[in-house]
Amino acid sequence: MSVATAATSTSARPRRRSRGGGQRSAPYVFLAPFIVLFVGFLIVPIGLAVWNSLHTVQRSGLGFGSSSETAFTGLSNYTDALTNPEFLDGLGRVLLFGAVQVPVMLALALVLALLFDSAAVKFTRFFQLSVFLPYAVPAVVAALLWGFLYQPQVSPIVDALGSVGIDPDFLAPGTVLWSIANVTIWSVTGVNMIIIFSALQTVPREIYEAARIDGAGEIRTALRIKMPMIAPAIILTALFSVIGTLQLFNEPMVMRSVTSNVSSEYTPNMMIFSTTTQGGNINLGSAMAILLGLVTFALSVAVSAASNRRGGKR
Amino acid sequence: MTLLHSLNAGAGYPARTSLRVVAVVSAATLALAACGSDDDDDDDDDQAAADDAGSVTLEYWGWVPNVEDAVDDWNEANPDIQVNFTRMTGDDGDKIPSAVDAGTGPDIAQMSQHQLPDFVINERVVDISDYVAGAEDLFTESSWSAVVFADAVYGVPQDSGPAAMMYRTDIFEEHDIDVPATWTEYIEAGRELQQADPDVYIGQFSPNEMGLWYQDMVQAGGSWYGIEDDAWTLSINDEASQRVAEKWQTLVDDGLVKTTQMWTPEYWADINNGNIATITYAAWFPALLKENAADLAGNWAVAPGPTFEGSDAAGDTGGAVTSVMAGAEHPEEAAEFITWLNSSEEGVNHLVTGGGVFPAAKIGLENEDLVQPDDYFGGQEILEVYKEAALKVPGGNQEGPGYQLVQNDILDGFADVANGDATFSSVLDDAQEGAVERMRDQGLDVK
Repeated sequence: MSVATAATSTSARPRRRSRGGGQRSAPYVFLAPFIVLFVGFLIVPIGLAVWNSLHTVQRSGLGFGSSSETAFTGLSNYTDALTNPEFLDGLGRVLLFGAVQVPVMLALALVLALLFDSAAVKFTRFFQLSVFLPYAVPAVVAALLWGFLYQPQVSPIVDALGSVGIDPDFLAPGTVLWSIANVTIWSVTGVNMIIIFSALQTVPREIYEAARIDGAGEIRTALRIKMPMIAPAIILTALFSVIGTLQLFNEPMVMRSVTSNVSSEYTPNMMIFSTTTQGGNINLGSAMAILLGLVTFALSVAVSAASNRRGGKR
Repeated sequence: MTLLHSLNAGAGYPARTSLRVVAVVSAATLALAACGSDDDDDDDDDQAAADDAGSVTLEYWGWVPNVEDAVDDWNEANPDIQVNFTRMTGDDGDKIPSAVDAGTGPDIAQMSQHQLPDFVINERVVDISDYVAGAEDLFTESSWSAVVFADAVYGVPQDSGPAAMMYRTDIFEEHDIDVPATWTEYIEAGRELQQADPDVYIGQFSPNEMGLWYQDMVQAGGSWYGIEDDAWTLSINDEASQRVAEKWQTLVDDGLVKTTQMWTPEYWADINNGNIATITYAAWFPALLKENAADLAGNWAVAPGPTFEGSDAAGDTGGAVTSVMAGAEHPEEAAEFITWLNSSEEGVNHLVTGGGVFPAAKIGLENEDLVQPDDYFGGQEILEVYKEAALKVPGGNQEGPGYQLVQNDILDGFADVANGDATFSSVLDDAQEGAVERMRDQGLDVK
């Protein structure tokens, strides 16, 4: 809350002139924009979603002309969502996706960051920019680009692999999830690399010098000194990645136009989209959204609890 | 960007898989709905200014190519009723319900006739019966029936999608195979083609394209929805649809059709490489074919679509309608404009020549000037074939609520069929069960 502290320190000066209550309200004035936006764009929508999830629109007859009623139906939308096999499948799918994609992506980002931090790489700036650049490509465009590269008759990759006797099908039911994972890894490795790299920059150089004097090589320094020192940054990137994984929507949605092996209910967010926007059932969709939010919250808590335990041991 | 382009260009049939994606979770939708009211005020100001000048301004969203020309003509002739056109691309249609609910929707919107029932049930379109009295006679019976629910009129029909068969004259000549006139002959021709050249398929199986199935279902005399004594009936897996399923199962099991995702670069590569010898599809498809397979000019012709045994009925994908949306301040003027656009000689000429749509208005079918020889199809007057097909489309196809989720269920199932994990017949059974359950959950009466 740097805004708040800044506000109180400036208020100390004019106290001489007036001790009016107006000064005490200064922090709240400065906080107001945040609070208004926070309430308006987070608290109110969540409240609305909760309200919607506890109600159901009831129609009758053919549904034409008759006024529909919105009735309180308790947790029935939640039980509907939790007994819907497609919703659970989608949830399982993104968890599996995350279990593979997050470690692979973070390992890649970590290795790249360590390489850029070491003296081993020349033209650091250029390579850093190259790795970061895909992050500047919007997710939809990235998925479109890769969509082209996955289609056998138009893809240079499939062509090249074919000429050496490998005949891959990137869009088959069993592989398309990992083809999507590849797109997201390509997109977000760069930004995670930057976060980890900046953390590395803050590590005092004297420690490395001490390690070198003690006889530690580059790899040993990386594993035993750098990685433990930047653990908080790694945990942070892991947390964001897990949240991002559960929200998976853009990439599979675009990939769906290239292959039918991505169903309309492939991920929880896609299912929420088809339930609300396409199916018009905002009540059931809200229940699903809240359940997804709870799972995300639980996983976030688990990740940060794990990191706290780590910190405590050290 | 062929992929983007082709997905956006479907003139008469927008209900297809999405490409332009709006990342919306329900909370975000609500937030957007909440903050949309500012725009509303602006609109009101515009409206007030327009009223001062003694004229009204109508917002119109649609996707027919070159419809701007028709709007310009209208605006010039009607200074009192000015129309502002906004072009819809990709799945822009998905945002119309939220926009209407938030009070920021257009006054007039184009939509697939399949989607209209949901708009009616959710009261997002206006009953314009009073403003379009007498318009009924201007349109073909089947297209007018798509805008009438419980004796009220909820829009003006724009186009329809009668089906015919585009075929590669060069391929059929090369292998000396007769152009099929029935589905039985079609399957036979498919076998002969495969024998002659294993890379050539009689047609395509596109698990992502609903229209290819829907037109066959209509041709077989089916209808997903029906109304009986104030209750809905669902017949997604009835006898007519099972007949269609049987045909497709043979084509897929015997490897006579190429499984390919429609509208992708991969698909157009299949067409351009000559892997697919026929495409049986709606009247709005030839324009897209020309655009995406320009090099094949002169190698295509159009024949009546193959028929089911014992019937000369033709298929139809369904078309688009233009409706006046809830919240429109001048429904009467809006109704006047859409009636002009879709049934006047001037409006229909724009739709047919500029937009390439197959008109729902009778005047469009009677106007011989619209029938022109087409060099792409070897100088053939292809509209004649489609006009003939339109006369043979069975009546009685009833639209109903929840179409889009039925479509999702069926297309998701078709992907399983393509992978050999399901049959067409089982997909229909599952879709039927799911649709009945969803409608009952909403409290609708379903027999």
